[in-house]
Amino acid sequence: MLRESARTLFERAGGSGRSRKLRDSGGGWDADMIHELAEAGVFGVTVPEENGGLGMGLAAGGVIAEEVGRVIAPEPVVVTVGLSLGLLRRLCPDHAKLEQLVGGETVLAVAWQERGPNGGPAEASCRYADGKLTGGKAWVVGASGAQGFLVVAQGDAGPVLVLAQAGADGLSVEARRQADGSAMGELSFSGTPAERLASGDTVQDALADAVSDTTALAAAELVGLSARAFEITLEYIKTREQFDKPIGSFQVIQHRAVDLNVMCEVAQSGVREALGLMDGEADPKVRARLASRAKARAVTAAKKITRDAIQLHGAVGYTDEFDIGLYLNRALVLSAWLGDDAYHRRLWFMAREAEGAA
Amino acid sequence: MMTDWNAMSDADFRKEVRGFFEAEYPEELRNLPHRPKFAEIAHWHRKLHAKGWVAPAWPAEYGGMGLNAAKLLIFYEEQQRWGVNRGRDMGVQMVGPLIIKFGTQEQKDYWLPRILSCEDIWCQGYSEPGAGSDLANLRTRAEIDGDDFVINGQKIWTTMAHDATHIFMLVRTDPDAPKKQQGISFLLAPMDQSGVEVRTITTLSGETEFCEVFFDNARTPRENLVGELNKGWTMAKALLSFERIFIGSPSLAQNALGQLESFARGRGAFDDPVFRDRFAQAALDVEDHAALYARFADQLKRGETLGADVSMLKIWVTECFQRITELMIEAAGPDGGTIGPLQVGNVGVDVLSSFYKARPGTIYGGSNEIQRNILSKAVLGLPG
Repeated sequence: MLRESARTLFERAGGSGRSRKLRDSGGGWDADMIHELAEAGVFGVTVPEENGGLGMGLAAGGVIAEEVGRVIAPEPVVVTVGLSLGLLRRLCPDHAKLEQLVGGETVLAVAWQERGPNGGPAEASCRYADGKLTGGKAWVVGASGAQGFLVVAQGDAGPVLVLAQAGADGLSVEARRQADGSAMGELSFSGTPAERLASGDTVQDALADAVSDTTALAAAELVGLSARAFEITLEYIKTREQFDKPIGSFQVIQHRAVDLNVMCEVAQSGVREALGLMDGEADPKVRARLASRAKARAVTAAKKITRDAIQLHGAVGYTDEFDIGLYLNRALVLSAWLGDDAYHRRLWFMAREAEGAA
Repeated sequence: MMTDWNAMSDADFRKEVRGFFEAEYPEELRNLPHRPKFAEIAHWHRKLHAKGWVAPAWPAEYGGMGLNAAKLLIFYEEQQRWGVNRGRDMGVQMVGPLIIKFGTQEQKDYWLPRILSCEDIWCQGYSEPGAGSDLANLRTRAEIDGDDFVINGQKIWTTMAHDATHIFMLVRTDPDAPKKQQGISFLLAPMDQSGVEVRTITTLSGETEFCEVFFDNARTPRENLVGELNKGWTMAKALLSFERIFIGSPSLAQNALGQLESFARGRGAFDDPVFRDRFAQAALDVEDHAALYARFADQLKRGETLGADVSMLKIWVTECFQRITELMIEAAGPDGGTIGPLQVGNVGVDVLSSFYKARPGTIYGGSNEIQRNILSKAVLGLPG
């Protein structure tokens, strides 16, 4: 039901062709699409009904994320469902922004990571005092189009979640262009005014859980992306002729196609199972392990499938004209965001060891 | 009155099966590293027979448990969990279903009870030197001579033929048929006769569970033809439906992973981050395979027929099983070529034996290359 309506909505809007047009016109998203998605209940899928959402679980969110992945839609669905609403529904469900996000009236980006001196991730040092932010944040998805930023910073007494408006004083946003045409924001604050939404250890806990959700949803998005990339490739090898035959009649091509198909199916089953298990699990550490399992699998599959898809397309796969390249580029961005497969296998192993020792 | 196992809840049924295995299965037979001869496991078979549990999949009217697909999976899961040997089950797994589906009333009355009691022990005569992946190429001939078929030819990879009283076989009965799949029939034949000679084949691991079987004017009565003459190929294919998920079950890989983990831990292999990552890859490969397996099992439980796509389970899990045992060899370091158990703490782990055990999986039951051919045509719809 959810799957069909999400698929219809995206297909009617133009599928991956729409995503290409948006990329070509500068890499943002479509405001009308945000409204349509909101009307279909997409953003509020995991928000409780009393707060205006659908009150469904992460598995339902995964269904939508898969559909986003199939058409490589640039709208910040996973970011909104997993991170912005993930934080607000846990920390301040009655704040007006929650309803606006669910209703598609606003988009908020979430700034929680920081870059260390060598370019890699670092401990948070961005400060919030006297109603003002100082410091920087990195890897902020959707920074260019968002109306505001949810920022996790260090307050006087532990972590705080604050809201800064786009265009606020002392806020500068550097947009780093990504392979898929989107922009990743590097923010810097110097005395930027921001509204405190929550504070204390609950902020850190809510952030950790929301990051787990988002990681798992990104995995689902990669599953949908991989499935569609495989379909496109399968169609291509059935029709492309060389030596007077479709190249898909050659056994070496057939066996590679089968391996990609098996990879797709394993990823879909594994990721869906992990999301379903997360819905029934309260322990944040176990949820994080399941999210790592999902992302590790999805990235492994998406990397293999999109790269082999280029090879199976041959030279045209290397051109921008064919859609398959859009899938490779989106997979690169989604894989790097929130950790790739090697990173998540490391987390997964450590979590498993910790559970075993406990 | 027979118990209606299917009416039980899955959890109750699992408890019942687990309880029986744990209470009654002989400790010395748990996780046997080799295929036993019947004499070695006869005492266990007698218990199973008395309980009426020899043939879980057969309908109750023929002496089986009459389990539906869901209950059957649970039965096998529990069997594997406790390391219960499948015994000499070719009769139960292959011959029984064949006779139940295609046999005459006389054949059912005569053969089925003898299969259950293991009075007859069966081996499977399919493969031949020139008919492996291309099974329809088989050449062993059976010609009618009076009241008998006279059989000439050779079978190979016949598992445990040296411990079998009977063979069920695919034979060529019409060499002039226009297609090689036609002209093949299903025959049952006694092994104890001068025209049948069995030679064991020594495998890489030094075991002798595979055999060659030579037929030199061997005879079997005409009533031992199962089904119609020249229709054996279709019947053999019809028998494969359930095996196709069973052969892709996660249990072998799961057990090997457990063994790998305790071995690697004992040997300190987890101190190496490269090894840790490869272990994590293997472990996640097993977990995500189990999720896919569950999807197919659910299909069976809903009463749906499995499609050709179920072959992907076999491809994934057999290759994964191999990688796990290769990691065991790696974790063994300089002991990686040593025959017999390697001590870790107070348990012995036989890494070579696990390694060998994982090899045939990608070859038998339709090699993984054949499975890929099937998937590419039947599932992906690729031409040629």
